[in-house]
Amino acid sequence: MGHSITEAVRAMIGMESSLLIAADAVEAGAIRRFIQAIMDNDPLYWDRSYALTTRYGERVAPPLYPVNAFHRPAKAPDPLRRAFEDPEFDGTGEMIGLLWGLPPVPIDLPRLLNGGNDIEFYQYARIGERLSVRARYVDIYERAARDGTPMVFIVIESKFFNDRNQLLLINRQTLIRR
Amino acid sequence: MDTRWYNDVTIGMEIGPLVKGPMSVMHIMRWSAAMENFHRIHYDYRFATQHDGLPDIVINGSWKQHVMVQLMKDWLGHNGWLWKISFQFRAMDLAGDTLSAWGRVTDTYEEAGLGFVTCSLGLRNQEGRESTPGTAVGVLPVRGGRPVPYPFMLPPRSVVERPAREGDA
Repeated sequence: MGHSITEAVRAMIGMESSLLIAADAVEAGAIRRFIQAIMDNDPLYWDRSYALTTRYGERVAPPLYPVNAFHRPAKAPDPLRRAFEDPEFDGTGEMIGLLWGLPPVPIDLPRLLNGGNDIEFYQYARIGERLSVRARYVDIYERAARDGTPMVFIVIESKFFNDRNQLLLINRQTLIRR
Repeated sequence: MDTRWYNDVTIGMEIGPLVKGPMSVMHIMRWSAAMENFHRIHYDYRFATQHDGLPDIVINGSWKQHVMVQLMKDWLGHNGWLWKISFQFRAMDLAGDTLSAWGRVTDTYEEAGLGFVTCSLGLRNQEGRESTPGTAVGVLPVRGGRPVPYPFMLPPRSVVERPAREGDA
């Protein structure tokens, strides 16, 4: 027990990323694909004349949209290049929306699970805004699964801002490696 | 969307359900594409079952969280505010499952001229198995009171303390 949490891993608790700015501004087309995929047809997301009658004053993105709005810039290398070399590549390497620019925790466990989230909302993103995020490792700890195999819990707190530096939401996500 | 007033909310009140499904691999793939997530357990049956030892293609936790948020947001209405939501992904939901998000009001309190509603939440499949237990705090206007501020502003300190939860140290 506890062998995954080395000194190097423990030293990462409290580590903060630099501010990461989204590759693109929030776009109506990206919101449309997003709400079609989550199957939430709230007119606040797409009907400008309706949105104008609400206290939001304009169309907004879904509450949790910022969490899934950070994608690979055109100049960055293709993460799927690894699939050319490694047929068992799981597709998750270099995903921005996982570590938000934090260095990966050096733990030799092959599987990745999403353990849960603890979220606070303050404001919604709007079309045209360039979002930013800053993340921090708030906790890293090991527990044994029911079958005795090790599981490492990695808690990342990410704060999302609009382009006026106003806080949109705080997301504390627990990632599980096992 | 009609305003939901704090005055009309009672402890024990049911929220939802909000039903999605049956969730095919097409629906799951559409979500992975929209968010540019290439994790193979969400579209590659061989990889999911043989490499990761999973029973089938897995519905993304990232998708399920939007369903939980939609349940609460729609119930609170555009004049209310979903302030906090938390959930744990305790079990996997798989391709073919129909998921029902549900909520129940567990407490209500008035503070700073606003109505606060705490809820328990869940996501159950067609067999009634719960995968995603959670809690939420919503804010509603009180009849005759002030509107819920937007952007949402923190109320006084006494209200912002998160209630103790299972799993807290």
